[in-house]
Amino acid sequence: MNYPGKGLVEGLAVTARNFVGSYFYKDRLTTVQYPEERIQTPENSRTFPFLVFDESPDKPRCTACKICEVECPPKCIYIVMDRDDKGKPLQRPKAFDIDISVCMQCQICVEVCPFESIKMDNDYEKSKYGRFNDLVQRLPDLLKSNDYYRQIKPVKAAEVDAKLKAEAEAKAAKKAAAVAAAAAKAAATPPAGSAT
Amino acid sequence: MNIAFWIISAVAVLGAVLAVTLRNLVHCVLALILFFIGIAAHYFLLRADFLGTVQILIYVGAVAVLILFAIMLTHNVTGVDGPKELLGVKWWSGAAIAATLAILLKKAILSDPLATLLPAGDKAQSSVAEIGKALVAGWVVSLEAIAILLTAALIGAVVIALEEIQKS
Amino acid sequence: METIYQLLHVTFANVPAWTVQVAAFLIPIAFIFGVYPAIFALTTLVERKALGRIQNRYGPNRVGIFGVLQPLADGLKILLKEDIVPRVADKFTHFLAPVLIVVPGLLVYLVVPVAPGMVAVDLKIGVLFALAVGTMSAIALFMAGWASRNKFSLLGAVRAVAQVVSYEVPTVMAGVAVIMAAGTLSTLTIVQRQGGGILNISNWYVFRPWGLVGFVLFVIGGLAESARCPFDLPEAESELIGGYHTEYSGFKFALFQMGEYLAGMAMAGVTVTLFLGGYMGPGSGPGLVGSLIAMLWFFSKLAGMIMLNIWIRGTWPRLRVDQLMGFAWKVLLPLALVNIVAVGFWHFLTPRPLAWVVTTGWLVIWFLVLTKCNASAILEKREYRYV
Ligand code: SF4
Ligand code: SF4
Repeated sequence: MNYPGKGLVEGLAVTARNFVGSYFYKDRLTTVQYPEERIQTPENSRTFPFLVFDESPDKPRCTACKICEVECPPKCIYIVMDRDDKGKPLQRPKAFDIDISVCMQCQICVEVCPFESIKMDNDYEKSKYGRFNDLVQRLPDLLKSNDYYRQIKPVKAAEVDAKLKAEAEAKAAKKAAAVAAAAAKAAATPPAGSAT
Repeated sequence: MNIAFWIISAVAVLGAVLAVTLRNLVHCVLALILFFIGIAAHYFLLRADFLGTVQILIYVGAVAVLILFAIMLTHNVTGVDGPKELLGVKWWSGAAIAATLAILLKKAILSDPLATLLPAGDKAQSSVAEIGKALVAGWVVSLEAIAILLTAALIGAVVIALEEIQKS
Repeated sequence: METIYQLLHVTFANVPAWTVQVAAFLIPIAFIFGVYPAIFALTTLVERKALGRIQNRYGPNRVGIFGVLQPLADGLKILLKEDIVPRVADKFTHFLAPVLIVVPGLLVYLVVPVAPGMVAVDLKIGVLFALAVGTMSAIALFMAGWASRNKFSLLGAVRAVAQVVSYEVPTVMAGVAVIMAAGTLSTLTIVQRQGGGILNISNWYVFRPWGLVGFVLFVIGGLAESARCPFDLPEAESELIGGYHTEYSGFKFALFQMGEYLAGMAMAGVTVTLFLGGYMGPGSGPGLVGSLIAMLWFFSKLAGMIMLNIWIRGTWPRLRVDQLMGFAWKVLLPLALVNIVAVGFWHFLTPRPLAWVVTTGWLVIWFLVLTKCNASAILEKREYRYV
């Protein structure tokens, strides 16, 4: 049926439906009330890098190999390797600083790291009052657990976990093979004392 | 005669004087509106509330707005380059004409039988009903004549507008 | 005023008479200055919330519980803003305009009755007064636009004045229908005429064929006169920045907003008085309880009209200037005139059912004729395709 003013009346019906519906159907209101409500950031979103540790923060995956420091295009990573009293390298960072006012979020550090240690975070609340020191992320700020990584990027974390597990298994198998080989060698060598 | 009369008169006269002396046309019209409102207030004071309201509706709401519209389309609103002299010959002759007109009008109004018809004193009674009855009973011919005149004017305006549309 | 005077006189018998008189003057004024601006503040909040809901948003909900303190925050913010006057502006007129714009809105409330006998002044020509005072806002709008020395302001002022003057005519004509039917210009009497019937409701003028048409005409005219959506061309943000109030800031801008809302609410109040039975409703009548119920009825009807305005604002797009003028002169005015004739039929045809049939038929036929005549102005339905 067509009558004068049809469009106007239909428009009124639509807005009335919106008005009433928004009180009864939560899913009509698409607004996310930000500080109280948040939405899960997508897997591929990224902000700044962080360092993954497995069991505890004093055992980071990072070996302070400084590959990322060298590769980082704007040179915003600064690493000092930890050493024991005798000056022997401990294969872990003593200082690991990322200046996020310089970092351009290119993810190159992540790509080059051979130890799956440095990963991109998606925490976007990094505002600070200071311009310089406040924006430098120190080692304690950077260290985050593997559980956290699994939480923010489930798919990638699973891949990494699988890879690390495979590597560890391969390593264990190799070690076992080496041990077995050594044992076999020892066994093959006649009278060599008590064989264990 | 009471205080309200004098205050309203002072405001109305101020508006009238400003309307003819100010150099800026828009200011003149605004002063003229002040004068119109003063006159409306006078009507209210005389218990002619219908007339007062119509004064506001027609003069303030329509006539003044029309004048403003016309002025808005003029080029030189401020007119600072005109002669600045006040109280010159032109002014005096204008005042003389106005005074003569006022005297004549006063004579005419007072000698008209209508003056005696007006309700004397301040009866708190609305004049709407009387005006209405007078219009459709006593002055029905004049009313119809005015109606026809206005309709003719309206049609004329439409015709003029139509011609311009067809030209363009 | 008389009612209040008598009430006070009886209650405070032993105080001097002049104090009672002064109080009887001051109470309605205080009422108007207190209640309607408060409703204005509330309306700004409700409007923002309702518009939000219409667009599936929350609307303001941060200041106070559910955002109820938002008007306060808005007011505070606008008070702290710098008051800027353009260097080339006409200072005096620029200053006067926002002051004058609030006056007509407030004056209209003088003749809007809120309960039996409760009207600030029971003017014999109340309706005419309300309509006449409403036009005065055109002057203030013009002053604002002209004094700003700004093209957009001036354009806005031109539009505002043209719009107010054009829509004044059909609005007044729609009011004339009610005046004819009621046989009076007094708002109080008009409301009283709408009492009685079934539940004090069935005699509202909106439930008459001519009353319904008049109501629609009057609502449209009221929207246009107070420059509310969809007739907000004078301040069309997308075309004229802000129209006549482009060059106003701070408190003067707030006054413009307030004047506009007060005028809109005043038109709503007059609409309620003329067509929706004013304070009439089940339970309203003389006496304290009856008066309170009546007041409740009046203000809920006012709130309903305000909500209707908001609903319309949230739905309909703005008209074009030529559509605006064409609508006023080619549709509304003829319909209003036809409506006056319909009231004549209603008045003189004696058996009520006959009057119903004839008036309805007359109005429907004319409505169809007008639609046919204006068929060229009705837009085709357009499909928008994005390639
Ligand atoms: S994301 Fe790019 S810029 Fe940032 S630290 Fe890594 S390599 Fe450097
Ligand atoms: S994060 Fe990776 S690449 Fe960078 S120093 Fe540590 S182990 Fe090396």
